[in-house]
Amino acid sequence: MDDKKELLKDQLYQACEEKLEGPDETAYNRSFSQEDLQNLPICRELKIDLKSLMGLVQSLTNDRRFIPLQSPSGPVWRLRPQEEANKYRGLEKDQVLVYSWIDNAGGEGIWQQTLRNRTGITQDQQFKNILKQLETKRLITSFMSVQNASHRCWIKASIKPSIKVTGGPWYADGDLDESFINILLNVVFDFIKDQGSYSTRAGGGSTARGASTSPVLPKKVLKGKESDIAVAARGRKRDADAITNDDESTPLKARRANTQQRILLPMPAGYNNYITLTEITERIAAANITRGTKLKESDVKQLLDVLIYDSRIEEIKVGRRVGYRAMRISKHDPANFVPGSVPSYDLPSNGLTEAPCGRCPVFELCQEGGPVWAGGCEYFDEWLA
Amino acid sequence: MSSYNQTKNAAELCVLLIRELYGQLPSRIFEILMASGRSTVQQLGRISSLGLRQVRHGLAVLVQQNLVYHYTDSDTSRTIYEANHYFAYNIVRNGKILDCVHRNYGEDAKRIVHLVMASGHMRVGSIVDAYLKNHGKLAKNVNGLSDQPNSHEDDDPFADTAPEEPQVSGYQVLDDIAHLIAIGILEPLSPKMLQSPEDIKSEVDKDLMKAYPSGLRGKQKGEHETRVANTVRDIRNKSQDLKMRLEPAYLYGSGAKRRKLANGDRSNGFSAANDDDAIEDSILLRVNYEKCLVELRNQRLCQFVDDHVGYTTAQVYGAMLTALSKKLPCCQPDPQGGDSIDPLNPPTVTTIEIFEYLKASVDVFGGIGKPSADQINVTSAEKVERQPPSGEGDADDYGIDGQASIEEDSDNDDDVDMGMANGHLNGTHGGDDGEAFGQNGAKDTKVKFADKGPTKAERMQRMRQHLLVLAESGIHFVRHSGTRDQGEWTVDFEVLFRQLRFVELDTIIEDTFGREGLRLIKILRAKGKIDDKTLPTMALMQKGDVHMKMVEMELAGFLDVQEVPRDNNRVAARTLFLWFFDEHRTLTRTLDNTYKAMVRHLQRLDVEAQKKKNILSLVERSDVQGMEEEKLSGDAFNEYQSFLDIQSRLLGQVSKLDDLVSVLRDF
Repeated sequence: MDDKKELLKDQLYQACEEKLEGPDETAYNRSFSQEDLQNLPICRELKIDLKSLMGLVQSLTNDRRFIPLQSPSGPVWRLRPQEEANKYRGLEKDQVLVYSWIDNAGGEGIWQQTLRNRTGITQDQQFKNILKQLETKRLITSFMSVQNASHRCWIKASIKPSIKVTGGPWYADGDLDESFINILLNVVFDFIKDQGSYSTRAGGGSTARGASTSPVLPKKVLKGKESDIAVAARGRKRDADAITNDDESTPLKARRANTQQRILLPMPAGYNNYITLTEITERIAAANITRGTKLKESDVKQLLDVLIYDSRIEEIKVGRRVGYRAMRISKHDPANFVPGSVPSYDLPSNGLTEAPCGRCPVFELCQEGGPVWAGGCEYFDEWLA
Repeated sequence: MSSYNQTKNAAELCVLLIRELYGQLPSRIFEILMASGRSTVQQLGRISSLGLRQVRHGLAVLVQQNLVYHYTDSDTSRTIYEANHYFAYNIVRNGKILDCVHRNYGEDAKRIVHLVMASGHMRVGSIVDAYLKNHGKLAKNVNGLSDQPNSHEDDDPFADTAPEEPQVSGYQVLDDIAHLIAIGILEPLSPKMLQSPEDIKSEVDKDLMKAYPSGLRGKQKGEHETRVANTVRDIRNKSQDLKMRLEPAYLYGSGAKRRKLANGDRSNGFSAANDDDAIEDSILLRVNYEKCLVELRNQRLCQFVDDHVGYTTAQVYGAMLTALSKKLPCCQPDPQGGDSIDPLNPPTVTTIEIFEYLKASVDVFGGIGKPSADQINVTSAEKVERQPPSGEGDADDYGIDGQASIEEDSDNDDDVDMGMANGHLNGTHGGDDGEAFGQNGAKDTKVKFADKGPTKAERMQRMRQHLLVLAESGIHFVRHSGTRDQGEWTVDFEVLFRQLRFVELDTIIEDTFGREGLRLIKILRAKGKIDDKTLPTMALMQKGDVHMKMVEMELAGFLDVQEVPRDNNRVAARTLFLWFFDEHRTLTRTLDNTYKAMVRHLQRLDVEAQKKKNILSLVERSDVQGMEEEKLSGDAFNEYQSFLDIQSRLLGQVSKLDDLVSVLRDF
C-alpha cells in the first residue's frame, strides 16, 4: 500500500510539474486548486477519488513538496521544486518550523521579530541557536531591509532579496547611495545635452548676446533720428524698399564676426536624433561607470524622471521616437564645463527671487509699525549698499 | 486668476502708487473708497473727517485719472463713487508702457501717449495743442509726470530733443493720434466707461424691466438676460466704432498712407488727411491699458523665449506676436462674455504676414543647430495641430493628426533635409516671389550664402524653422495650426500662460528650496496626492531629507498635507500622510507676496526720501531744478546722486515685481 501510495504521489507531483509553464523562476508560482488536481489526467485515468486525493496531497504537503495556501475560492497548493524540498531533510522539528516560514517568505524575507512571533518559539537563546544552525547549513542568510533600516531579516540562502527590500541599484548596504545617484544624474544629463544640441562658435549665428541684457530690442533708440531698427520695429509694415534690402543687409556682417566662444544651440524642429531611453542605457553600460551593477531601462527611466522633475530635461516626441533633450540649452556654457559635474548655468530668476523680500525669513511679520518694517529692514540695507 | 481679489497688500499698493503720483489727498480718499466700498461725497467726508470741498478736490483728481468709477442714480440724483483698483495698479506700468510704445511705434507716438497718460483723459484738440506747444517749438518739462519718482525712466528725452525737431503740423499729430486709436492704444472715452460694469448692467436691467411691469415669468427670464447682456455689449462696443472706422486705413490699408507711416517720413505730404476728419477735436481719449497689456505681454513672451530657446528665435517670435496682436484687443477673455474671439478658434497669422514684421537686422540663419540631412523628420516637424492642446496629458494623437494633415509632405520623406523641406513648400507656394529659388539644391543653397546674401525666400524659410522650433517646444509657445500661405500660426495664450505661471513659480521654489525642493513639488504636481512613503523612491532621495524638505515647504505655504486615518484610533502610525500641491492657492499666495514686496519697496523709497529730505527739498526749488549739478555743492550733489541710485534700484525692482504680477494675474 505504502509503495503504491509513494508511486501515486510521485505521479501526481510529476503531473503537476508538467502543467507548469513559463520560465523557471515564475513557473512554480502557479497554484492548483482542488478542482485543478481532480482534472489532472492521472486522477481521471486512475479514478482517484476525492478522499484518497486529499490523502496524497496531505502526504505531499508533509514531504514539503506541496505548499498549502489559502485563496479566496478555497485552499490551493503550490509546488515546491524537488531540490528545495530536499533541504528539509535532516532538519529537526524546530528548524523545520523556522525554515518553512523563511522559505514561504520568498524574496522579501521575513523580519526576525515576526519570525519569532509566528513560530511561537519564546526562548531567545533557543531561537537564536536555530537560526545559527540553519545559517551554518547554508540554508538561510540575513540582510537589512531598506524599508526599515533597523530590521534584520532572514531569507533563503539560495535566492537574492527582492528589489523591494534592497531598493535596487540605488542602495548600497541598505543606504541610499546619493553620490552614486548624483554622478549618474549628471552623466545622463551630459549624454542628453551632447546629443540634443548643436555646438558651434558664437558668431555662427546672431548669438552675440550681450550677456543677459534686454533680449528683445535695444532699450533706447537714439533721439531725434530713428535708426533702421526703430523704423522696422514700429509695428507697421515695412515698405517695399526695406524688404528688398534684406538680401544683403546686416545678417552677413553679423555672421562674419566670429569670436571664438563656444555656444550651444537648440536643434531644429523634427530632429529625430534626440537620445532615447534605450540608447542611454546602452551608453551607461558601455561606459562601465556603474561599478558592475547593471542598470536596467526601468532604473534609467527613474533617473530621467528625476531630471525631468528637476526641470533639467524634457521629453520630446518626434515621430514615434521618444527622446530627451536639455532645457534652456542656449543658457549652458560649454566653455567652463566639466563632464559629470553639476552643470554651470545661470538659474532663472524673477522679480521676487532677486528682491530682498523674496528670501526674507521674517516676511510674514513685516508690516508698517511692526517689529520688522521696510524702513528699518537690514536686508534692504544690505541690498541697497 | 482673472478675478481681482483685493487683498490688504494689493489695496495698500494702489494707495501708495496714487500717493507717489498724485499726492496725499487723492490717495487718502482712494484708501477710504477701497476700505468702505461705494460711497457718496457726504459719506467720504464723514469717514475721512475732511471738508466736503477737499473731498471733491481729491475726487476730481481721481476722476480725471480714471481711478474711480462714478455713477449718478437718475431717480435720486445721488452720485456714488467706487475705487477702480485696476487702473490704480496700472500706474506702476506707465513707464513700461511708454517704453514699449516708443519702441514699437516711435517717438511721436510715445509723446502723445505720454500726454494722455499724464492727464488721465484729454480732448483730441487739447492733445494737438499741447503737443504743438511742447514740441512744435522749444519747450521744456511739459508734464509733471516725468519728474515724479514713479516714472521708470532715468531721463526724459523730451527736454533736449525738442529744439532739433522739424516743424510739426497739426495734421501730422492728428494722423499719429488716429493711428494710435486704430491700434487700440488710445481709446475714445464715453461717460459710460466711467461707470462700473455692475452699474451699467443694473441700469440696463432697470431700463429693460420697464417693459415688464408685472415682473418676469418663466421663459421671459432667459430672454431678458440675453437682452441685458446684448445691450451691455453694445454699450461697450460703442467706443470701438471709431477704431473700426480707422482700422482699414491705418492697419490693413495699402498704398501711400501706410508707406508714409512706416517710413516716418514727413515729406510725403498728407494726401490722406481727409480720413483724419473722422477724429473730431472734441473726442475724449484715454490710454487703453488692456491693449497696452497685450504689447507688454508680447515683450514678456519674447523674454521667455530668449530664456528657453534662444535670442534669434525670440526675435522671430516677437515678429510673430506683433503680427498676431493686431487681432487681439485684450489679454484675457472678458468674464462677462461678449467677446469677438472664440477660444476654440483663436486668430491666426500666416508665415507671409509674420515675415513682413520681421526686422531686416534679425539673422534668422543663426540660432538653430544644423544637423545632417537624415536626422530631420519633416513629417513630425511640420505637424499641424488644428485643435488647441487640451492641457492635460499628451495623448498619442500623432498617428491620427500627423497623417491626416501632412499628406502633402509625404513625398519628401525619404530624402529630406531642412533645405528640402523648405524647398518643397517653396515649390508649391513660393512662386509669387518671382525668385528662381533652387528648391532642390539644399547643398547649393548652403554654399551660396557664403558668397552672396540670402534671398528673401530663404530668409522666410529659415524664419519658419524658428517658428517650428517654438511649435515643438513643450511649453506650447506657438501652435502650427494650418498650411495656408506657407503655414498658419497661432498662440494658445491660456495654455501657454498656465505653463509660464508654473515656470515663474518653479523659479521661486528652486531659488528658495533648492533643486530638491523643486523636484518634490514637481512630482506632486505630476502625480497628485502622494503618500509619505512613496515620495523618497520617486525622488531618489533619503527619507529624512525628503521629510525635512516637505515640512520646510509646508511651513512656507507651498505644500499641504492631508491626514487620512486608516482606522478609528487616529494614531500617527496608522495614518496616511498625503502631500499635495494646491496650484490655485500657491499662485494666489505668491501673487499676494509679490504685492507685499512691491509695497515694501515703495515704503522703503519713502524712508530713503525722508532721510535725504534736506537735499530733496533743495532740488525741488524751481531755480535748482534741471541744473542740479551747477547749483548744488559737491557733497550735496553726491548725496542727491546716491539717492537717485537707490531710487532707480528700488523702482527697477518694483517694475520687475510687476512683471511677475503680470504673468501671474493679467496675461
